[in-house]
Amino acid sequence: MTTGNRSSLGRLFHGETAVDFYGRRRRGFTVSLVLLVLSVVSLFARGLDLGLDFEGGVAWQVPATASMDADIARDVLRENGLDPANAKIQKLSNASEETIRVQVADQPADVVDAVQKSLAEAASVSSEDVSVTSVSSSWGRAITEKAIRALVIFLVLVTIYISWRFEWRMAVAAIAAMAHDVVISVGVYSVLQFEVTPATVVAFLTILGYSLYDTIVVFDKVQDNVKSFSGTRMPIADIVNVSTNQVLMRSINTSVSSLLPVLSLLILGSGVFGAVTLREFAIALLVGMLTGAYSSLIVATPLVALLKQRETKYASLVGPHSTGDTLRAMVVSGLPTGVRATRRAEATDGGPSSGGSDTATAVLTHPPRPRKKRRR
Amino acid sequence: MTRRLLGSLIGVVAVVLLAVVGNLSAGNEIALGLDLQGGVSVTQEPVGEYNSESLDVAVERIRERVDALGVSEPEIIRQGDAVVVNLPGVDNQDEAIRLVQVTGAVLLRPVVSASPISPGAGVPETEAPATGSTPETTAAPGPSRSIPGATTPDTAPDTTPEATSETLATDSASPSDAEPVDSVADTADDSVPPTGSDLPPASEFADVAAQPISSDPNDPTASVIVQNIDGTEIYQLGPAFATGEVFNSDATADIIQGGWGVRVTLKRGSGGEDLWNIGASQCFSGTGSCPTRRMAIVLDGVVQSAPTVNQPSFSGGVDITGNFKESEAKDLARVLKSGALPVRLEVQAVQTVSPTLGEDSLRATLVAGLIGIALVLLFMILYYRTLAIVVVGGLVVSGGILWNVITFLSASSGLALSLAGAAGIIVSVGITIDSYVVFFEKLKDEVKAGRTLRNSAERGFKSTWRTIVAADTVSLLAAFTLWYLTVGSVRGFAFFLGLATLTDLVVAWFFTRPAMMLLARSGRVGRRGAFGIKVAPGGAS
Repeated sequence: MTTGNRSSLGRLFHGETAVDFYGRRRRGFTVSLVLLVLSVVSLFARGLDLGLDFEGGVAWQVPATASMDADIARDVLRENGLDPANAKIQKLSNASEETIRVQVADQPADVVDAVQKSLAEAASVSSEDVSVTSVSSSWGRAITEKAIRALVIFLVLVTIYISWRFEWRMAVAAIAAMAHDVVISVGVYSVLQFEVTPATVVAFLTILGYSLYDTIVVFDKVQDNVKSFSGTRMPIADIVNVSTNQVLMRSINTSVSSLLPVLSLLILGSGVFGAVTLREFAIALLVGMLTGAYSSLIVATPLVALLKQRETKYASLVGPHSTGDTLRAMVVSGLPTGVRATRRAEATDGGPSSGGSDTATAVLTHPPRPRKKRRR
Repeated sequence: MTRRLLGSLIGVVAVVLLAVVGNLSAGNEIALGLDLQGGVSVTQEPVGEYNSESLDVAVERIRERVDALGVSEPEIIRQGDAVVVNLPGVDNQDEAIRLVQVTGAVLLRPVVSASPISPGAGVPETEAPATGSTPETTAAPGPSRSIPGATTPDTAPDTTPEATSETLATDSASPSDAEPVDSVADTADDSVPPTGSDLPPASEFADVAAQPISSDPNDPTASVIVQNIDGTEIYQLGPAFATGEVFNSDATADIIQGGWGVRVTLKRGSGGEDLWNIGASQCFSGTGSCPTRRMAIVLDGVVQSAPTVNQPSFSGGVDITGNFKESEAKDLARVLKSGALPVRLEVQAVQTVSPTLGEDSLRATLVAGLIGIALVLLFMILYYRTLAIVVVGGLVVSGGILWNVITFLSASSGLALSLAGAAGIIVSVGITIDSYVVFFEKLKDEVKAGRTLRNSAERGFKSTWRTIVAADTVSLLAAFTLWYLTVGSVRGFAFFLGLATLTDLVVAWFFTRPAMMLLARSGRVGRRGAFGIKVAPGGAS
């Protein structure tokens, strides 16, 4: 098996990449930090466009017939004693029909009925064709509070679980990566001023779950490698780099597989068929899944390395880590080598290690452990 | 080992197939949520003071009303204190709101006349106000057991043992033996029976016969004709003289004089005891407003109990006894508790979804979802080639499991698939696929390390299983927390996320594992370089 002469795509496919994730952590952290700051600034400056379900209010949706347009809807509001200036009037279109959506603040039931009838008259449709959505503002607040409470409890549970299954450092890193993903996704909503609906909240929660899921798959690999390298004097940076490269293909494949249905929902579902609920849902998911896959490799894993470096076992091993072909050799074999350990002693004062092809071959001279004889 | 794997593989496929056949032959279908089918959703929340019984009773009443309306697949969901009623196919918003506005309030009305409903007739004889048909009450002297002041703290000082003066009525003239015969007795030891001297004039109860009979059974000021709870008797009732709020909310079912009964205390003062005693004295005397001497306890137009009043006035508490079964006594106690502090449900949110909108969304989700899954499969086939057979098989099996569970729950417990839920399932395809990707990548590593395919499959699955369990546990945690603590579409999403994650685990263990191991043993995959890398010879057994 040769390792030197493949294209980068070929290397990816064969799991022979040697990306120095740990060494380039600062770049990743900077990108993330910029995005986070942008999101937070936008959240404070522009806020979120909270939909009907959170702020309360009434919305009527009436088919856009020949006699119905936004101006007429405004007239109808005025007739019923509502100020059209405070109303949000949108034209929605999907494949089969166009509708006009009129949204105002919380109104008493008789006003709601009266407007419904007037709108139906104006559009010359039966009043059953005018769909009404009304949410009292207290109810909107209540569901938001419930969702936040659920979220906090979930985070506590997940922290406990990860600390128990892995270790607390990984829990910290995973939660940080998840917060990163959610803040950036919410930031996209704030920057683009998309309306936040219950479907969006569902999407944010999916992102949260997806981000954690993805991070845990990577951490599982890190933990595996920490165990298998425990007898050696490998710096944690190497272990983390080896693990990240080993799961790189899986992360990309999974992301593609997860994104395909979402893209399908976005392009076909909302673009072609015009289901608006789907559009919002899909955009949030798209952003969230991309940041989720990104953060588990670029944010969470280097963070674990940084945290673990404070452990006594690894504190003494801080120093230059392997890159290039040395790293590749370890990624491919999953084994540290005696050669490497001795080379390490020489290389400590020789600046950054220059992994040579001789090391790679040295690694590969170790054949896999012979199989034990098994019963068939 | 091979046999066991084969057994698991065939077993899971057979179970899924059998369940599909079972569901199909039972005619079960996936119930569509409101957003997919169209209809009205009303969310109500209690405001002000109420007790948990009154909310329970109100929700039950809503359920009965909705069931009586014959709406197909209605959903009545308690989410914390909020009550969400989804009525698919209903497009009249006003009607829906009227339907679900229930308070759990109890009215106390004098019985003008009562007549049994013969089981065969079905149609109640509404024109039977003849007093002859009403059950006569005969006073049966029975020493009432002295109750150690539990329910009557106000009469504690004057405990005179002359409780025998109070009688418990038994109804000998009851037309049907199965019918519970109720009576009301004072639990207090009335040393000074307050005979109507301090009662306000009860002229409003006079001339009952002249009262117009209202079509709204909940109109407290009109006479009404209603049935009792098990449909054995029909009553003409006068205007309500009081509501259940005369009672404290401490009604309990208890053994009273050797049979199940309900004991409840009266509130003191003009809003409680006094009001009750006005009605009680009229019923006891059997005058024009209450010729039958019975008083009906009415909840939402249904007589819960119509006991005979055995004494003109009460102080402290009331016992209701009769041929109650334990469950009936407990139900009545619950109704009285509810009536003591009825819940006021306020409509918080109303959503009318027009069915065309729903239909469009449904088609869009379905088509987009199927295309998305097809693309994923195509990607898998291009990337993993032969191994993709396992992915396709696994997705078919998990699809089958999901379909079975959802249809079964739709039919049995009114689960409805909402747009958020459908989208959640499509999204969870990603998580399912990930299990395979993790497994295959691991397999690749093992094969590259020089192991045979057979060996790699076993080792690979072992480590993959640990990864899948760890990652899926987080998803399940999310699903359970969200399902338990949130409302509305988030809750629907959480349910389907949890369901899909559990399915993922089941399929990984019972389908993917045996399928992959058998495939590895057969040697067919190995020879062709399944993942674009050479596999060490000897993979075949």
